[in-house]
Amino acid sequence: MKTPDKRRAQFEAECRTAGLALGARDDELLYAMWLDWLPERDRLRAAVPAPEDEPWR
Amino acid sequence: MAVSVTDLDLRGVSEGIGTRELSSVEATEAYLRRIEAHDGVLRAYLTVTGDMALAQAKEADVEIGRGRRRGPLHGVPIALKDLIAVAGVKMTSGSRVLADHVPARDAFITRRLKDAGAVLLGKLAMHEWAFGRPVTEGPFPTGRNPWDVRRAPAGSSSGSAVAAAAGLCAGALGSDTGGSIRGPAAMTGLVGHKPTYGLVSRSGVLALSWSLDHVGPMTRGVWDSAVMLQAIAGADPDDTSTRGAPTQDYVQHLEDGARGLRLGLLKRYYVDGPGLNEEVRGAALTAFDVLCREGATIEDVDAPSLDLAMAVWAPIMSEAYEYHAETLRRTPEKFGEGVRTRLLLSALFTAQDVQRAQRLRARIGREVDALLSRVDALIFPGQAAPALRFEDFPTTGFAAAPIRYTAPWNLLGLPAAVVPCGFSREGLPVSIQIVGRRFDDATVLRLARAYERVTDWHRRRPDPARWRL
Repeated sequence: MKTPDKRRAQFEAECRTAGLALGARDDELLYAMWLDWLPERDRLRAAVPAPEDEPWR
Repeated sequence: MAVSVTDLDLRGVSEGIGTRELSSVEATEAYLRRIEAHDGVLRAYLTVTGDMALAQAKEADVEIGRGRRRGPLHGVPIALKDLIAVAGVKMTSGSRVLADHVPARDAFITRRLKDAGAVLLGKLAMHEWAFGRPVTEGPFPTGRNPWDVRRAPAGSSSGSAVAAAAGLCAGALGSDTGGSIRGPAAMTGLVGHKPTYGLVSRSGVLALSWSLDHVGPMTRGVWDSAVMLQAIAGADPDDTSTRGAPTQDYVQHLEDGARGLRLGLLKRYYVDGPGLNEEVRGAALTAFDVLCREGATIEDVDAPSLDLAMAVWAPIMSEAYEYHAETLRRTPEKFGEGVRTRLLLSALFTAQDVQRAQRLRARIGREVDALLSRVDALIFPGQAAPALRFEDFPTTGFAAAPIRYTAPWNLLGLPAAVVPCGFSREGLPVSIQIVGRRFDDATVLRLARAYERVTDWHRRRPDPARWRL
């Protein structure tokens, strides 16, 4: 479990990687939305596709 | 006619015009009067095209008077979500970015509707770019629920739902990327049909997320949706996703009933899943009993990977970020903060997130296809809960929990319809949902009609006396 500080640092790093420069309000809203999204993202990244899981097969 | 035109469903209006009890001009004037009287509160319309509608209605009456009725939509007043192009009529998508945009050409489906002789009353309110939140103020209010004007009709096809439910048009078109037809239809007691992906052209329709976007009807009755779908379905050379689209006769088998149909109830994921309102659950289970009594057989079925559907849907919505990224970079102030934040989140998805989502989308599709090889259709409650008050809409979530009832079926492109199945204690509509096999929209509509014809939920109308703030 990451601490709130580590979560915040991770968010800022991801924003830098994506080239996002946010104003204070967007930063506040996007951080809240990103936190809300993390459990789904964890679920996505933990799901291991099978070889036959191809979009056009 | 003894009954008010605006209380009729589309079928009633169409039959009135067909029998010459009602002229298209009379019907059009009745809707325009009702818009004038009530849309100051309901805010279903962004643009009313009254002069154009009356001109089309007069032409229709002349043609019908000569014995040349083109079909069931000829002379019938309808309206379109404000992301479907009508040549010469402002199209805003509920956004400041397009505040003054006037398309030069009709969308393919607009041409189809004009060819069918439909009368276009105007352009309907919607959530900003079909991705924003409900708002009551500003240049693009999203509309109020006619069953309780303190509540939102959900979205994003909010104005389409309000107009059709309140009798401000005979039927409407909406679009659906994660539930934007079915959600508002469920919240306002309408039939809302998201057709099979590739059955209805999207050319001339502003995109949100091209592999998830669908355009379809929102109406008071199933027959109404069937005839609107019939008019707009079919291949369009300007939309390759419709290449070879196999259309059906969507009306012919509507009265065939439920007897002999095998239905799969997605019980674990939807009925036993988290967040389902008890009144919706009760009404839906009662509705499924009705379908059994009508001769359908129902078995519990499951697709385990549906648990991943929302995790998959979100990265695929990054198509919307690609569509808007440049405008968002140049003019961020022209986006509402809700839609701007949702778009920006997509910038934080990695390429691997998106590709993994595509692979898992394929897995979910395989599991559901296997189910649909054993049953004719899938059934489950149409929504998590009845309509929310404006102030209760969540402000931070990317994908609100209720869209798990709808968004998985955008991922898979399968035909899906909601049908009203009752009311909450507070008098708010609730619904069931039916999902069919790819390009078998006719069975979805047949089953919806089988339920509708032995119930009377679809005949109830919201009370205009309560449309006050």
